[in-house]
Amino acid sequence: METNGTFEIHAEAEEIVARKDVSYYVSHILFGRVFRIVLLLLFILAILIPIVYIASTSLKEPIEIRVSGALLPTGPITTINWIKAFRNVPLVRYLFNSTVVAFFSTILVLVIAVPTTYSIIRFKTGGWFFPAWILGTYVMPPIVVSIPIFAMVKMVGLQNTLLGLLLVHTMANMPIAVWLMDSYIRAIPKELEQAAWIDGYSKFDTLRRVVFPLIRPGVLATGVICLILSWNEFLFALILTYGVQSNTFPIGISRYVGEHGLQFGEMSAAALAGIVPIYILVFLFSRNLVEGLTRGGVKG
Amino acid sequence: MNATIEKYTPKLMVLPTFVILLIISLVPLIYVLGISFTDSTISKPFNDFIWFENYKKALTDEVFGDSLVNTLIFAFVVTTIQTFLGFVLAFAMQRERKLSGVLRTLALLPLFTPPVAIAMIWRLIYDPNQGMLNYYLVKWGLTNAPIAFLGDKTLAFPSIMLADIWQWTPFCFLLCLAALQSLPRDPYEAAMVDGASAWYVFKRLTLPMVAPQVIVIFLFRFLIALKVFDLIYMLTFGGPGNTTQVASFYIYRVSFKQFQTGYGGALSILVLILISVLATLLTKGRELLLKRVE
Repeated sequence: METNGTFEIHAEAEEIVARKDVSYYVSHILFGRVFRIVLLLLFILAILIPIVYIASTSLKEPIEIRVSGALLPTGPITTINWIKAFRNVPLVRYLFNSTVVAFFSTILVLVIAVPTTYSIIRFKTGGWFFPAWILGTYVMPPIVVSIPIFAMVKMVGLQNTLLGLLLVHTMANMPIAVWLMDSYIRAIPKELEQAAWIDGYSKFDTLRRVVFPLIRPGVLATGVICLILSWNEFLFALILTYGVQSNTFPIGISRYVGEHGLQFGEMSAAALAGIVPIYILVFLFSRNLVEGLTRGGVKG
Repeated sequence: MNATIEKYTPKLMVLPTFVILLIISLVPLIYVLGISFTDSTISKPFNDFIWFENYKKALTDEVFGDSLVNTLIFAFVVTTIQTFLGFVLAFAMQRERKLSGVLRTLALLPLFTPPVAIAMIWRLIYDPNQGMLNYYLVKWGLTNAPIAFLGDKTLAFPSIMLADIWQWTPFCFLLCLAALQSLPRDPYEAAMVDGASAWYVFKRLTLPMVAPQVIVIFLFRFLIALKVFDLIYMLTFGGPGNTTQVASFYIYRVSFKQFQTGYGGALSILVLILISVLATLLTKGRELLLKRVE
């Protein structure tokens, strides 16, 4: 089949080259270097413009914002919006809450997800059903279970607490963590573990001392992704927290819409205050993140 | 003793996750199914047992019907555009090694920006009085008066879609890139030797080889797009009218704004059934499609 296909292509290609018809030239332009570069530059611009716009808005004078929506500031640059954002809204508290929830939920997720994924892959624990259940839980829209989650958190008295939210985030991120770890653990040669078993390692020790060091990049990628997902999470934070003591960053800034009118400069500064930490993480771990996302993403 | 522990180690390793899945999916689903047959409110769960009244109400609820249609339209439109753009861009980038490092990092930014912040950015961009989009539209003489993108019945939904496309195209781009890079090199070398045109190589080699993976990317993104909530909450709250009402947001409104958790439960069950059916059909459809290609 392979040779046959290749042969066909040889023949047809020769014919096209000989003819040099319209399609030949069209494809020359479409697949030419200039077109490619223009396309990619447009992509970069499209990604950057909204980010640059919000950054520049946060630095514009409030008077300028009212008359000009230009991408870059035309007048003097000011820090007044940043000062106001931190003064008028308990931003520091929101960011602190988000940090606590994201950090501890991520640690919990990793501690639970790594052994689970290992067990599922190496020992086929739970057969086909368990992985399917995990994937199904991931695909299920969280709003569907929001009423009972709200009721359960209330029942154990954890509504409006950071502990309640971080436990819910731990559980909500579990499916994606297992799914991200999957390809990393799958890539480990079984022989390595078998050698460890023969040497008298217990299954748990094998995971800890043999497998874990090899999947560190995966654990890192999964950890950073779960950290960001928790930091960004909106729905559960919206229904489970309703005071400054437990509101996370997304809930805090969502208040801007409505309560404070539309204070553009302040809104931009507040939004950026929560975006910047994420972007720092992204730049620090970009290689890991890309690998983590794409390894899991294209499994048949 | 040790031998027993050793024997049960694999089971112990999945136990916490098993418990978690019970708490976040099985128990909640049973709970939701339960209250969907009752006239519950948020403060009085399991109030009056009313059998299928909530379901009957749902079937005649026009807003719910619209929200389902909107959800499907939203997911289909954004997923199609994102997969297409992502693929084209990934294809263009294959041979541009210098740009690839930069673009990969940049592509992560929209994906990981907090959705609430994304919504805020686009709210500013679309604002009729001070926003960037209207500023340039008016300045360049493309419109006479500013347009209220998010307040307009026909423009609101596409405007939200654009924000979603900004957020997720880079994700599809990264996945398509990985798919393209996983293709075998030999067939290309053969075609290159023959001087086949780029379009021809693309049509006869790249597309058939990469299609199965691109379909998976499409399906995956489609199922996630059905969950859309944050952007709607922040940008339009389902309005104007109910033109941007989607399933997740409508359930939220019924359950947590109107406090009718019984009815919200019934809607949840219906949405869940719809998504399960859809997911099954799509996976089956993919299998059929792949068989055909072979």
